[in-house]
Amino acid sequence: MTTTSNCNLPADLYYWIEKHTWARREPDGTIVIGITDVAQHLAKSIISATPKEAGKTVKKGKSAGTVESGKWVGPVTAPVNGTILAVNPALKTRPGLLNTDPYGEGWFSKITPDNWEADSTDLATGTGGVQAYEAFLSSQGIVCR
Amino acid sequence: MEPIRVLDIGLVPPVRSQAIYHGVAYALGPGTPDTVILVGPTDPYVCIGYHQELEKEVDVDYCRQAGLPIYRREVGGGAVYLDRGQVFTQWIFHRPALPAALEERFALYVQPLVETYQGLGIPANHRPVNDIHVQGKKIGGTGAAQIGEAEVVVGSLMFDFNFDLMARVLKVPSEKMRDKIFQSLNEYMTTMTRQLGHTPDYAAVKREYVRHVVQVLGRPAEYADPTPAELAATAEIEARLASDEWLYQKGGLRQTGAVKIHADVYLLEATYKSPGGLIRATARLRDGRIDDLSLSGDFTLLPAFAVGALEQALRGVALEGGAVRARVAEFYRSLPVQSPGVGVEDWVSAVMAIKGQMPVSS
Repeated sequence: MTTTSNCNLPADLYYWIEKHTWARREPDGTIVIGITDVAQHLAKSIISATPKEAGKTVKKGKSAGTVESGKWVGPVTAPVNGTILAVNPALKTRPGLLNTDPYGEGWFSKITPDNWEADSTDLATGTGGVQAYEAFLSSQGIVCR
Repeated sequence: MEPIRVLDIGLVPPVRSQAIYHGVAYALGPGTPDTVILVGPTDPYVCIGYHQELEKEVDVDYCRQAGLPIYRREVGGGAVYLDRGQVFTQWIFHRPALPAALEERFALYVQPLVETYQGLGIPANHRPVNDIHVQGKKIGGTGAAQIGEAEVVVGSLMFDFNFDLMARVLKVPSEKMRDKIFQSLNEYMTTMTRQLGHTPDYAAVKREYVRHVVQVLGRPAEYADPTPAELAATAEIEARLASDEWLYQKGGLRQTGAVKIHADVYLLEATYKSPGGLIRATARLRDGRIDDLSLSGDFTLLPAFAVGALEQALRGVALEGGAVRARVAEFYRSLPVQSPGVGVEDWVSAVMAIKGQMPVSS
């Protein structure tokens, strides 16, 4: 759904609001993660994406890889503890997918979570989660344009 | 308002001049003040962007022979030659203390640099998004990153700059390209020394800079030293920045035959195989137009002066197929030239191949 900040924040995803990362639980229990529409708007045109390799472990709150835009470099913060199962191979040649389709073709990596139930409790989701994200954006003066 | 902490570290070994802001950023805790570091290297070195591939960007053999160490920073952008002609101005702030929008963040960061230059009588201004220009010439760039929990913005006070070595350390597809880079740096970059005719006093300029930081942020500044925890984090980072594993990691940033001189000026080189031979086009683009062009290769274009005439004819032309084609066709109409196996469309293809070298972000 599009918020009043003009950011696209689907209600079915799980968000770590302050880190601008999202997680989605797949039917097989794996977790797909990525950066939010907010993050890609803040970073602008992304020219490089370097996810941590498959097989590596990630800790919630630590970097699952990095992205570089023409003007900024930053980590993609893992929203769960777990092991990287796969990284999006398309990002190597088309890092701009993070801008154009951050929740679809621009997914960042797929993680086998250690404990999704525990790690997801403080992630925002549903209509209420989107409202919370919107409140945060409003408080920070962030808009997607 | 909470004071800004200023760490005026002076001259330190090259690796520390990069490691220090990483260390302060990684050590940032809730109680750490927002910090401005002023630091320079005792000796020259080369610094590459976070996602660059070292061997595609830097002439590693030359650097080794010249005794120039190479370090990879956790901030993006391109390879750069650095020495004590620059004082790095590194901001390590808590995220809420800086604007979320990058344009505004750079505008804030650049303002005290611009005001410091203006105070010296140098007519500098902010060239959005993140350059500082003096009458169309760049006087230093800036970069930003999130490192640990800190938001980092880095740039420099450009006292002096070695244009020759900057052009020398880059890995380029041809010596022609290197000559053009050197020329373009000279034409489109400047320094305090060039602007003033002398090098101003470092200490006085740094003091002025801090005064402008205080004014711009509306917060007092307190000079201090790094904490033991920050120095420990810096030492740890130094080991990593110097490691081959870190330095030679595959960056993922796509190699392009392009060198950005500043926000409006790029040097690009591309080759095209025509039936009459290989054509190498080396061009400087300014605001999307051909500012300068060299054509070389094993093609034949007679009479001898025709190559220079064609290069000249294409200056000022927008890098668009139609415009280039019209100018080349006019050239062929106006001069009785012979170019076996190379026709108008080949020149158009050779020149337009340059466009494919433009970085994505531009």
